[in-house]
Amino acid sequence: MIVGLAFPETALIGLLFAAIQFGAMIYLASLGELIAERAGVLNLGVEGMMAMGAVGGFVFAIETGSPWLGLLAASIVGALVAMIHGLFAVVLGANQVVSGLALTIFGVGLANFWGTDYEGLRPDVQFVDVDLGPLSDIAWIGRIFFQQSPLAYLALALGCVAWFGLNRTRGGLALRAAGESAATADTAGHSVVGLRLFAVAIGGALAALGGAYLSLSISPGWTVGVVAGRGWIAVALVIFGAWKVRRVALGAFLFGLAMALPSRTESFDLPWHPILWSMLPYLLTIAVMIAGALILRNRPADAPAALGVPFRREER
Amino acid sequence: MDADPLVDPLADPLAVELIGIHKRFPGVVANAGTELKVKRGSIHAVLGENGAGKSTLMNVLAGVYRPEAGEVRVLGARRVFASPSAALAAGVGMVHQEFRLVPTFTVAENVVLGAATRVLHMGTVEKQVADLAQRFSLDVDPQRQVWQLSMGERQRVEILKALWRAAEILILDEPTAVLTPQEADELGSIIRQMANDGRSVIFISHKLHEVKQYCDEATVLRGGKTVASSLKVEDLTSPQLAELMVGDATHTIRRPEPTQACATLLMVENLHALNNRKLPALRDVSLSVHEGEIVGIAGVAGNGQRELADVIAGLRNALSGSVRLFDRDITNASARQRFRAGLSYIPEDRVGVGLAVQLSITDNAILRSYRQHRRGPLIATDRAKAFCAEIVSAFKVRAGSLDQRIAELSGGNLQRLLVGRELTAEPSVIVASQPTRGLDVQGVTAIQELLIDARNRGLGVLLISEDLDELLAISDRILVMHGGRIAAQYVGVDANRSAIGLAMAGEPA
Amino acid sequence: MIRPLLVRREKPLPGGQPLAFVLGSSVALFLGAALLWVAGDDPTEVYQRMLSASFGDLEALSATINRAIPLALAGLAVAIAATMGLWNIGAEGQILFGATAAAWVAQIGNAWSGPLLIVAMLVGATFGGALWALGPAIAKAQIGVNEIITTLMLNEIAVRFVRYLINGPWKDPEGFGFVQAPALPDQSELPGLFERAHIGALVAVAVLAVVGLMVSRSSWGYELRIAGSSGATATYAGISLKRKTLAVLVLSGAVAGLAGGIELTGNATRLTETVSNGYGFAGIIVAALALMRPSGVALVAVLFGAVQVGGQSIKAIGVSDAVSTVLQALILFGVIAAGVLVAYRLELAKAKVHSL
Repeated sequence: MIVGLAFPETALIGLLFAAIQFGAMIYLASLGELIAERAGVLNLGVEGMMAMGAVGGFVFAIETGSPWLGLLAASIVGALVAMIHGLFAVVLGANQVVSGLALTIFGVGLANFWGTDYEGLRPDVQFVDVDLGPLSDIAWIGRIFFQQSPLAYLALALGCVAWFGLNRTRGGLALRAAGESAATADTAGHSVVGLRLFAVAIGGALAALGGAYLSLSISPGWTVGVVAGRGWIAVALVIFGAWKVRRVALGAFLFGLAMALPSRTESFDLPWHPILWSMLPYLLTIAVMIAGALILRNRPADAPAALGVPFRREER
Repeated sequence: MDADPLVDPLADPLAVELIGIHKRFPGVVANAGTELKVKRGSIHAVLGENGAGKSTLMNVLAGVYRPEAGEVRVLGARRVFASPSAALAAGVGMVHQEFRLVPTFTVAENVVLGAATRVLHMGTVEKQVADLAQRFSLDVDPQRQVWQLSMGERQRVEILKALWRAAEILILDEPTAVLTPQEADELGSIIRQMANDGRSVIFISHKLHEVKQYCDEATVLRGGKTVASSLKVEDLTSPQLAELMVGDATHTIRRPEPTQACATLLMVENLHALNNRKLPALRDVSLSVHEGEIVGIAGVAGNGQRELADVIAGLRNALSGSVRLFDRDITNASARQRFRAGLSYIPEDRVGVGLAVQLSITDNAILRSYRQHRRGPLIATDRAKAFCAEIVSAFKVRAGSLDQRIAELSGGNLQRLLVGRELTAEPSVIVASQPTRGLDVQGVTAIQELLIDARNRGLGVLLISEDLDELLAISDRILVMHGGRIAAQYVGVDANRSAIGLAMAGEPA
Repeated sequence: MIRPLLVRREKPLPGGQPLAFVLGSSVALFLGAALLWVAGDDPTEVYQRMLSASFGDLEALSATINRAIPLALAGLAVAIAATMGLWNIGAEGQILFGATAAAWVAQIGNAWSGPLLIVAMLVGATFGGALWALGPAIAKAQIGVNEIITTLMLNEIAVRFVRYLINGPWKDPEGFGFVQAPALPDQSELPGLFERAHIGALVAVAVLAVVGLMVSRSSWGYELRIAGSSGATATYAGISLKRKTLAVLVLSGAVAGLAGGIELTGNATRLTETVSNGYGFAGIIVAALALMRPSGVALVAVLFGAVQVGGQSIKAIGVSDAVSTVLQALILFGVIAAGVLVAYRLELAKAKVHSL
């Protein structure tokens, strides 16, 4: 589809820049969902947690005058809101689908309530894109990779930390065990409830960072509906990336591309209406699920085996 | 975690001492003042029928359950374990009947789970696990993922886990249930090596010959109480142990005279089928069941018995071959058509296949016949209830009300309901898979008598069981399955335990 | 160290779910009041206004009933699927696509008589909802693709599809530059009952009764419950899981689609991408609160309808209608918590963790 550069160079640079920007934002949220799901907890509250992160980050940034403090506050707010799901789905063993959806409704509602007085305010606090001197000045690459918001690099760094934590540490091993076979983790001396609460809290904090990315960097400010269904994309991305930190990163770029494309279809002379292009992430996810179901029939599935299954030790 | 300072751990010759353990579950008293003393460096059998409280007692020792009363002493110190890990830290490791392994983890990851360094260097870890395995002659590859391993290998991983945690006391809960007799012998030599190394092994079993073969001492439980404590195994004969284990309830099933074999009821020819993982599970299986005959199928779990039963009952497709009932080819018939044609099935998983756990007794009673209890599109509740009441009274299902959820019934009552439902339809052939597993003595006897009674009325019974004693007691013929094939056939009286054992291991004499 | 421990009661508290419902809702109202108070609003005033706006007079009641219709049908859709252990998270999209199908019928039948057009639109909506559930149903039945995610994804796709229609092929030529779908023909409006209530309520009640009876009493529903308890048991009893999965998800989608049709013919003047208005998601909460029983769904739906109508009314006194959204989630959380307390008791166990 990209043949012979029949469109302005700047449009392609703009597209790739935006793909990384949207990709990094969604990656933060997906990373959080991935961690929760690897511990065995499906949290469909991402949309709500992102909304809370968006409003919380914005409010605190305005009140303190610092986007970084806003970001910190957003992550705390996200973790706290996520603990509602933790309490119901993990501690009380309620159905995770119901509890997660209720969290989305709750989070979106509370964010709208909280944000009433801040709606439409033009913020003077927001993240400015970095300037890495000579690096940022390189043609093409400089604009695409080295003039992003600091949050993009934070997302990358957190991805590395998450990969190392999950795959190379004792805690990560335990967390994955809790998601694959809770009774095994329990017998080995790990607190399944503790591990899952931790994972849900981290998941909430990361989802909120994704939300704050929206309200403090991509489109600074708070408006009702700013998250606009991106929480569901984050949930989809985890499945698209087969619950693997690196594959989700790759998927995030692809989904970022798909999110950036609809507003630029004209520059690229693409067929179809831009709105049809905006369906791409969802269609891709469904396609991946169907392909996965068709291909992986003799191996254990990619999904954590205990995903969605509450754990309670002494029951007979 | 600290030992009682007043007690010198080395002075006490006992590895484990359980005093007056009481543990109750809603509706069941599992342990009522149970006692156990295990010497260091010995292999100690805990023997008892199903439901005698063995597993509960061991789960108390391993920190899974908290007893309501009683004292747990480990290596001379009194302990109260809040969790399995606390027990492990004190040196008590348990290998559960259902393995506690993460299938998608490697062997090494499973072994170090719960006791790893903060940061994992997988190469180093794998090397350490391999060394440990070698020291105890446990043959497993640390890099393989557990879901690819055989049951015997998985058990070795479980033992490795306990050794990795430096367990001084290893509890094995019915460890041979998933093993061939030969694998069981290997296990015997592994635990002997551990005992020689100064560790203590508690071996839970209800099989007398294993106790005789592998263990030094035995404690016998019955009805949650200790009836004989720390007996020297070499001084005892199997009948003596059996009597202790079963008590007054000793009951020998009188096997009626063999009937003159007549009409063939069920005929299976050259059957091939796949298991859930799409691997071949049945290879060219042929067998027949005649009128008035119990045909037993012996074999170690996972050798195709489950798939055989499912294919015959219509729950699994055959790749090739045929299943005939009388003269009718039912190979492609649905489960419902087969049932109507006179084939009843008591599946291995009572709850989850034979019964729906969330539903009521009535709903479960009409599972096979609900279409006959219709009034228009609706189910005629009155007729369904009447039908259910008949089964409940004829087969002595003890239940509060017919609307009670079956989750509240005991194992024995569940099985009576299931067997009752299957027999009420007056079938000509009944396929029974592990029909007495997990039942108490009365339950086992009742079910076995129902099967014998059915046989005497001229039904053909295909009895699949992992309990060789049961098969030897009530079958007219025994077929042994191994690797998806019928490996050998024995006719009642010449059936000989060791020959069958060899056939189960794939080495028929 | 003192550890809280949940211990199952030998007998659950008398009252069961109704008790949990009352307890949980009270806690939710209390928490909502606390939230309002923190925000500087007067909780009593807000609650009074919400109550009078939803139950105060006949007109209020009619508004509440109108809101309860899509909630009840969406809740029913979720409950049917849940009876078989399936999660239809896609009622939102099915409502929307049902409404889209009805709007399409209205374009074709522009000149038809009222009753004919209305019936055709409702039938079209039902088929539309069923069609939107068909994909996930086939994927689940044939190759076991998780229906939670596929139905969820299709919600987002439905919104974008409608947005595309409104921006593209269906853009109203008489919209004076406004991006909107053409207005529905006048005769497509559902006949009224009293005040603002329309006969959609009767349709919903009839569907609830028929489907409720089907699920709880018919042999079809019996098969559904067996399959929901255990797929293997269903196969054992000769019930085809594939056919059942297909049927139940498509029926679930159809019911949700019908809600979209009623919403469009009853309350809307044209198709918009917000016609489903969160009813699909709220329906999941409604169904969960009704313990997935069709009989309870209607009751809970009326309550939620009241909370939503009440929420609209408090905008007049400068309070965000988001309060009602928050309240709906709080009620669910409160009832789950109360349900746990009904079945379990809290014990503070002094855990002597290790040796003496």
